[in-house]
Amino acid sequence: MRAVFSRQALALLPLAFLILMALAPLARLLYEGGGGLSANLFFDDYLRWRLVWSLTQAAVTCVLALAIGLPLAWALARFAFPGRVLILRLLLLPFVMPTLVAALGVLALFGPHGVTGLNLQDTPWLLLYGNLFYNLPLVIRAACEALATVPASRLAAARTLGCTAWRAFWRVEWPVARPWLASALCLVFLYCFSGFGLALLLGGQRYATVEVEIYSLVAYELNLADAGALALLLLCLSGGVAFGYAWLERRLATPGKVEPLPPRPAATLAERTLLAGALVLLALFAAAPLLAVAGRALSAGVEAWAVLGEGDTLAALANTLRFSALALGAAAVLGLAHALAAQRWLWLRAAAFLPFVLSPVCVAFGLLLLYPGWSASLALLLGAYALLAYPFVAKSVAAALDGVPPQWPQAARTLGASAPRAFARVVWPLLQPAFRRGLAFAAATALGEFAVTLFLSRPEWTTLTTLIYQRLGRPGAASLDAALVLSSVLMLFAVSAFVIIEWPARRDRDSDHA
Amino acid sequence: MFKKVLWLALCTSALGAQAAELRVLTHSSFALSKELLAGFEQQSGVKVVVIKAGDAGEMVNKLILTRANPIADVVYGIDNTLLGKAQQAGVLEPTASPAGAAVKQTLPGMVSVDYGYVTLNYDKAWFAKQKLALPKSLDELTRPAYKNLVVVENPATSSPGLAFLLATVKGLGEEPAFAWWGKLRDNGVKVAKGWSEAYYTDFSKNGGSRPIVVSYATSPAAEVFYSKQKLAEAPTGNLLLKGGVFQQVEGVALVKGGGQKKAARQFVDFLRSDAVQADLPRQMWMYPVVPGVKLNPVFALAQQPVAHDTPDSQAIAAKSAGWVSRWTRVVLKSGY
Repeated sequence: MRAVFSRQALALLPLAFLILMALAPLARLLYEGGGGLSANLFFDDYLRWRLVWSLTQAAVTCVLALAIGLPLAWALARFAFPGRVLILRLLLLPFVMPTLVAALGVLALFGPHGVTGLNLQDTPWLLLYGNLFYNLPLVIRAACEALATVPASRLAAARTLGCTAWRAFWRVEWPVARPWLASALCLVFLYCFSGFGLALLLGGQRYATVEVEIYSLVAYELNLADAGALALLLLCLSGGVAFGYAWLERRLATPGKVEPLPPRPAATLAERTLLAGALVLLALFAAAPLLAVAGRALSAGVEAWAVLGEGDTLAALANTLRFSALALGAAAVLGLAHALAAQRWLWLRAAAFLPFVLSPVCVAFGLLLLYPGWSASLALLLGAYALLAYPFVAKSVAAALDGVPPQWPQAARTLGASAPRAFARVVWPLLQPAFRRGLAFAAATALGEFAVTLFLSRPEWTTLTTLIYQRLGRPGAASLDAALVLSSVLMLFAVSAFVIIEWPARRDRDSDHA
Repeated sequence: MFKKVLWLALCTSALGAQAAELRVLTHSSFALSKELLAGFEQQSGVKVVVIKAGDAGEMVNKLILTRANPIADVVYGIDNTLLGKAQQAGVLEPTASPAGAAVKQTLPGMVSVDYGYVTLNYDKAWFAKQKLALPKSLDELTRPAYKNLVVVENPATSSPGLAFLLATVKGLGEEPAFAWWGKLRDNGVKVAKGWSEAYYTDFSKNGGSRPIVVSYATSPAAEVFYSKQKLAEAPTGNLLLKGGVFQQVEGVALVKGGGQKKAARQFVDFLRSDAVQADLPRQMWMYPVVPGVKLNPVFALAQQPVAHDTPDSQAIAAKSAGWVSRWTRVVLKSGY
């Protein structure tokens, strides 16, 4: 009984944080707008098109990401090959790229001066490509984790009973993977739906999402009434998605200890072709734009790399390191607390999506209104980082908790272990991989910091990402080169962070070599 | 850990409030040599805290929203497109210019610091290769020969985008201007979110396919300054067309309700000092308002406009919101 109470008490921390950092600012902004929500906003054809477009592109991206991501993930999960673990870590890299730099990478491939000679600029194809660049890795990662929870014995039984690999996939692997995929697709949908997105950059204003409309209403027109109405509408729509997901995930959870199928080398010609095809697809969708950025940086010459020695760059590197570490610390605490508490309540589980669902510009302006005295303080900035980063930890750990059979900690308790001890010795070791995975995503978010530019900042808080945007804020080939070099440094930095955070535990390492 | 950080930050901010601190709100493009700022701190005995609040338009809105509890003591970077809005909202303290040389570019109620021009830039190599004559008027841009060649920034999300719209309205007249925008839309104008996006993903000089972009008149000089091999000539040029040049004047003012009045006033004078005026052009690519300041020779490579079409700041304050929504209707919304 005490354990239940302490878990409920755990909810207070993330709840207080969410209320202080997200809900109260939004409410304050709505209040400032006068609260008179004008319905006629929704009779505007143009806004309706925005809304329909936002929904359509998000849905199409989800379908494509699943169709391409699942077979790709299957190949990555089932076949052993050199560099497999590294590739799984690198999958988070697109997440870190500032949108503008990603767009430069994409255009270096498929732009008017692209190396492929194929100019797709201003076509819908480029938009979908851009969306897949950011979101495919999310689905692949989730699917790989999912396939690793399929019991090897069950698969072996199915095959012994005469199932083909194809049939075994549909009857054994697919049911296990479903909740994981649902979770990832939900995230993809929310990102595409409410994001500023690469789509806008690659497609021009015609493809702007509703969030861009809100940004312009708040930041430029100071039309808080309309902006608030739109933000609430978005909140309801995507909040519904988040709630549906939380329900789905809990229903589909199948606790139990699994002995996963270790990856094995591709043996037959068909298997090798499948693996090769998967790697080619992955390179095409996720790696190519990054390689284009790195390639352009490398070919920029020694003068361009001299930017690394500049005081500004070193200071930005130090800030990036400092802020990411602090944000990760906060994300770890908040995420764990949220996940543990969310075992009991569905709404709390859905609430972990709140930071993804709220309009960043509304939150930023709301915070300014609510805490003017604190507006230019480091604490608020770090709070914003933590707000954007911690849901990943919460989500990941919550999913892993579903997989812990309740009998195990109960058995430990019966054998005399105290509740904390049972948690530390039984539950925690099972959660750890998911916790690290969530932290890696959180690190990617903190390094990428999409929305942090909306907050007040100081020159001495410049991070790598802001420095990149500064360089791209002035003309000249050298400015562009410096931005590309800095982006490459950001990638290196991110890769080392991912590798350290997800340093394989001994058991994983063994299975990787098996 | 987070709590500890929060607590630490609380303590430091509490401590900071006790030391004399001048809070300077600026847009994100603000830049000044560190030595100059350090010199000012030493001379005035206050610590300067620079707070960047995003794009200039965003900055003014943040100032307006927090007027009950000002987030800064002095604000730099409000220009003639935003001055009226800031004054109507009553967030600025009327700030008189320091005595000294007469400056030509002024802002009523504020102290002007620098000025520049928003105008069209073109890609010289592209036009040479295509053997296409440069357009001689805005009207020519709506002809088939110039189809799909122009990228502009959205005036609802970008300061140069707004400036360019204002210039067309002033230069062509309101009705003809929007008729022109309609024709430009039919001729395939692309709208980007902001300057960086337009310049780096749509301008043919970089990643894009369009050789004409709304940018600044000093951009060609900056192209040379930030080039890899020192170029003798700028790779881009200014397309100075009637109705396509806007003079932007940026200034500094005290924030109503802010503290540190004396230091704030000193800071205003400091921005007009010869040292800062000489430093500004190279840092922010704007011209200094104080006449006689020697410019970096690279500025000679950018043609400085002799004429411009700039509505006065009262007219802008009264009408720009309406013009922007009309622009959105004409250029973005039509066809839905």
